Amino acid sequence: MTDQLGALTTIFTEFYYWITVVLMFLIHVGFCMYEVGASRYKHHQHTLMKNTMLIPLVTVTWFFFGWWIYWAFPTGPGLAPSIMNESAALITDESTFSAKWYLPNTEFMAVNLQDHISGVFWAAFLLFSWTAASIVSGAIIERITTFAFGILAIAIGSVFWTIDAAWGWHFDGWMLKLLGYHDAYASGVIHAIAGGFALGVLMVLGPRIGKFSSSGEPRNIGPRNPWLVTIGLFLIYTGFWGFYAACNIPIFDLGPEYGMEGVTFWTATNIYVTPTTLSGITMNFLMSLSGGLLAGYVIAKGDPFWTYSSGLAGVICASAGNDLYHPIQAMIIGMIGVVIAYKLHYWVERKFKIDDAVGAVAVHGYAGVVGLIICGFVLNGYPSSGYSVGAMWDGSTYASINPLGQFIGAIIMFLVLGLIPGYVLAKILNGMGKLRIPRDVEIAGLDYEMMESAKSDEKAVSSATR
Amino acid sequence: MATVTNWIDHLSAKEVAGAVYPGAGSSETLLVIIGIVLWIGWHVLTNNSESEELSRLARKKRGANDHKSNITDW
Repeated sequence: MTDQLGALTTIFTEFYYWITVVLMFLIHVGFCMYEVGASRYKHHQHTLMKNTMLIPLVTVTWFFFGWWIYWAFPTGPGLAPSIMNESAALITDESTFSAKWYLPNTEFMAVNLQDHISGVFWAAFLLFSWTAASIVSGAIIERITTFAFGILAIAIGSVFWTIDAAWGWHFDGWMLKLLGYHDAYASGVIHAIAGGFALGVLMVLGPRIGKFSSSGEPRNIGPRNPWLVTIGLFLIYTGFWGFYAACNIPIFDLGPEYGMEGVTFWTATNIYVTPTTLSGITMNFLMSLSGGLLAGYVIAKGDPFWTYSSGLAGVICASAGNDLYHPIQAMIIGMIGVVIAYKLHYWVERKFKIDDAVGAVAVHGYAGVVGLIICGFVLNGYPSSGYSVGAMWDGSTYASINPLGQFIGAIIMFLVLGLIPGYVLAKILNGMGKLRIPRDVEIAGLDYEMMESAKSDEKAVSSATR
Repeated sequence: MATVTNWIDHLSAKEVAGAVYPGAGSSETLLVIIGIVLWIGWHVLTNNSESEELSRLARKKRGANDHKSNITDW
């Protein structure tokens, strides 16, 4: 960096993403508090550790191969040619945005004085990965082994979500080109896939003991600590601000980027390099959050657990198009998503005896799918990519946003990359006898030995004289 | 091991080398192999200890409310 303006732009961008990473850490703090609050006393510590250990597991695997997948897979492979090298193979050539530079043994995956962006961008995506894995974690509490969860967390966090990001988020992604897929703040690429994956695992894992009566009626196993759940969900909201900011490129001159001669237009853009503003998406975030809370309060009759979760579901549902929606559109879309997700949750629970302990499949999966589909109608006709409008690449290579493309995209996210891999992996782990904890342990409580040991220590200390 | 021993020389070079960590250009692949061994090893170790813990606890056949006698006051 030798000129001051270039240096300022680069260092600002570096710092911007760094801040988003710190903010997004609060999502994980929130998920941990939420899960402990939702689990029963005798499972608390194992529940917490299960969710905590996904941090290192997803991080190291994201370093080893997750980040490489994102840059290698935009073409499918084999589904649409790259706009960089016109090949439909994995992108591993010498081009600027090739996966070749993101192998774990390259000099860009470390402190590098010539590269101020790769590390913070890597970290921002990594925090998305934690979120994907943590969404799954909540649904399956109190009966999965830590070993199995670790494998599943790596699968969703460092493999399947990063494939969907390469397909539906990367500027060269085949879903943008062929389907006109648009998902600015990850209704699908994080939430629908994680919800679908969780549902696939739940189908194999089965319900907690006692969740359903002998006649099949579901029983409520409510949150043990509603205050921890409350703070957890507020922290998830807080981290979600960072998530929204991290999905943007903070400062970009679109004139030369789009090949518009003599035009300078500095702006923030979404991940597809089409213009938006941090200001506008902040309004939309708050209005969709409000829509979700308003609808959730009504439909759940004031139940705090569902009201808070509905705020989250409202944002998730509107996220696909929150880069362009009017705030009132965002609010209404949030409301619609909440009503559908809530109704579907209880219908699936009764019909298929699915025990989703925290409503994760509904809040993330169903609301995400609904949000993608609605986005196809409301944003019908908008360009799906900045690169379909200029001469930088080769003209109109990208489909516009459209309802059918968004519907197919939703199926890819929820079913193809979410539910099916989750189901298959859970089947394999179950076949190995590694998926579910023994029945007697579930009844006694995963923390039984820890608690017993703590009680012995307490007795010893209280009877001590020196 | 040091990649840089004099920052003035390093930064005034015609082309400044970006990678400045110890062992740059020679140790990365070995580090990745070590990292992967540690990662896989962690799964093996924790899987074994978890299986042992779960089997031990399952054998004790505790009731659903037995844990309540172990709640501490501190």
